[in-house]
Amino acid sequence: MALLQIAEPGQSPQPHQRRLAVGIDLGTTNSLVAAMRSGLCEPIADEQGQVILPSAVRYHVDHIEVGALAKAEASRDPLNTVLSVKRLMGRGLADVKQLGDQLPYRFVEGESHMPFIATAQGPKSPVEVSADILKVLRQRAETALGGELVGAVITVPAYFDDSQRQATKDAARLAGLTVLRLLNEPTAAAVAYGLDQHAEGVVAIYDLGGGTFDISILRLTGGVFEVLATGGDSALGGDDFDHAIAGWIVEQAGLSADLDPGEQRRLLQAACDAKEQLSSAGVAQLVYGEWQGALSRAQFDALIEPMLARSLKACRRATRDAGIELDEVEAVVMVGGSTRVPRVRQAVAELFGREPLTDIDPDQVVAIGAAIQADALAGNKRADGEELLLLDVIPLSLGLETMGGLMEKVIPRNTTIPVARAQEFTTYKDGQSAMMIHVLQGERELISDCRSLARFELRGIPPMVAGAAKIRVTFQVDADGLLSVSARELASGVESSIQVKPSYGLTDGEIARMLQDSFQNASDDKVQRVLREQQVDAQRLLEAVEAALEADGQRLLDDEERLAIAAQMEQLRELMAGSDGLAIEQQTKRLTQVTDAFAARRLDATVKAALAGRSLNEIEE
Amino acid sequence: MGSPCHFALFDLQPSFRLDLDQLAVRYRELARAIHPDRFADASEREQRLALEQSASLNQAYSTLKSAPQRARYLLTLRGPELPLEVTVQDPEFLLQQMQWREELEDLQDSADLAGVAVFKRRLKSAEQVLGDEFAECWDEPAQREQAERLMRRMQFLDKLSHEVRQLEERLDD
Repeated sequence: MALLQIAEPGQSPQPHQRRLAVGIDLGTTNSLVAAMRSGLCEPIADEQGQVILPSAVRYHVDHIEVGALAKAEASRDPLNTVLSVKRLMGRGLADVKQLGDQLPYRFVEGESHMPFIATAQGPKSPVEVSADILKVLRQRAETALGGELVGAVITVPAYFDDSQRQATKDAARLAGLTVLRLLNEPTAAAVAYGLDQHAEGVVAIYDLGGGTFDISILRLTGGVFEVLATGGDSALGGDDFDHAIAGWIVEQAGLSADLDPGEQRRLLQAACDAKEQLSSAGVAQLVYGEWQGALSRAQFDALIEPMLARSLKACRRATRDAGIELDEVEAVVMVGGSTRVPRVRQAVAELFGREPLTDIDPDQVVAIGAAIQADALAGNKRADGEELLLLDVIPLSLGLETMGGLMEKVIPRNTTIPVARAQEFTTYKDGQSAMMIHVLQGERELISDCRSLARFELRGIPPMVAGAAKIRVTFQVDADGLLSVSARELASGVESSIQVKPSYGLTDGEIARMLQDSFQNASDDKVQRVLREQQVDAQRLLEAVEAALEADGQRLLDDEERLAIAAQMEQLRELMAGSDGLAIEQQTKRLTQVTDAFAARRLDATVKAALAGRSLNEIEE
Repeated sequence: MGSPCHFALFDLQPSFRLDLDQLAVRYRELARAIHPDRFADASEREQRLALEQSASLNQAYSTLKSAPQRARYLLTLRGPELPLEVTVQDPEFLLQQMQWREELEDLQDSADLAGVAVFKRRLKSAEQVLGDEFAECWDEPAQREQAERLMRRMQFLDKLSHEVRQLEERLDD
């Protein structure tokens, strides 16, 4: 009699009974899907054997074309062919218009603030376009793996903000995919690299893609991938290299700068070809229309030098944020197609003082890492001692608007997720019954320089004197990096909460600029912040004195005293309109001094009334 | 909020002197056990609990691994809640603070990166000294006032270190 076979708990007895899950790299230029098969993690190819799917979608009247064919026809049918849709994810129409004339689409306004692209199939939102790419990858995976998927891990740039992450998740849902996790691209790359090389210690992932740049510093310890810090510069990618070459061609050939969309796409293609030639050759031969020329590698290196310098600066910043020195980084891994540029490799090697690792395919490593995590999240247990744990961080600080248009940080950037932080606020006016909660993301001190994520209102606060109510606002960021916020008045228990789901997100450029500006303008900010605080203090005092005068002015002050106070108040109001912080501060002090006696008398009256057995409320009424 | 003591969470006795490597090891063990990734296919309620527990674990870890935050936390364990900002009567230290600030301004004006590195090392050793003193006295009720003073000095140094980092960013332009 054959013995019954009993598998270890949680372990499938046979490999084909594994639960099917995939990792998807939804890239600006190219997308990939990968999965674990017979213990190996590999990208899945289409029927023609192609692993890479260009992120291009062309809308015909009766069908949709995704990939290489759509890309090839892009210059012939620019209005119906969407390229680089990732740049539009989680953005508002206004943000998209800022991207300028590089986008040949016709945008229409939809119900939400999202930009819709007018196509032969009607208006399409970026979320839908991304979903069409994801659908193709999902079908490819289901055909290859022979079954329905339990879910997918989808990668996003580490610097992606809340709304961009939310938009990505929505696209997956539209494509019929269950999102097991949104995973940061450099973290995914670290997983693939770490497991492949059995690496331990501090690792830097330099990820330069088509339109985006991420740098992440991680500590690898026994299967734990702990992100110490992350940073990025989103207005930076291989596309920018192409634009630099295109600009050079225009100059050399003496062309006019305003080309039509079709010509512009052909010019950029010529530039891209030259860039790729220069990865192996010393000189690239260029032909554009009538014009012919040659671009040497040294010339190309000079063209991209400013962009490269920006990426290196972000590397130094992330290293500092991680609390380590550059020479403590034990391995540097290159990810993204643009790291094929020799000058990029050389500059990174110089910065970290070691040769970067380039032996893992820079186009595939992100999808492979995502697939490894997807397999584990789907419930396929790894062997003992080989379990993974990814500890990621938020890329940009989260906070709230406080008095005077200032951003109060609640969770600083590079905080490990999941995270929940509470901060207490109070009311500004007597009897205030509602409070506007304005949620922001960014590094600058003034809210106008940060990204507004959402606003909501906490209503029904019981009437109290200013400063007596205690409102606790709790921020929670989950393992996908998605934020939810709740607010609660502690005395009454009045509560309000929202899943932050804004209709627009930070533009990549804005985030990068915000971060950069926050460092460049740190000293300007300080001056402005001090002035704002002085103005707020002054305003607060004025309102308090006004209320006190109204309540007790007649009873406790004589005419002369009332006039003296009124004169000082008038002067403070005048100064507040200006920007002389010191004068405001001094006048605030002066007003405090002249109202000191009045305040003391009011307090006395209150004490007397209390002794007589009456409450403060009765006196106020 | 009735959450358990941060030290107990890591199975440690409340103490200022901590083996940070050991703390990191325990953190990773705990994180492995309760991270939401472990509950990707569990019920919604379990997922929520995992999220909440991981968040408080992360909070506890970040509090304990930072010396000034750890000091502050120890004092709240032994006494009343401490206000975040107070006017500190600490004339002796005030003078020192002013000297440091002046030095930092000079370093900014001269854009002296090597000088910044030296300055950082000095702050680090000052932190070390404060930590040692705090470790001696925080648990003595009679020395509570001194412990609070030391904790506030540590907080100041922490803020100053942050400013040094911002200066480094600016000098990097």
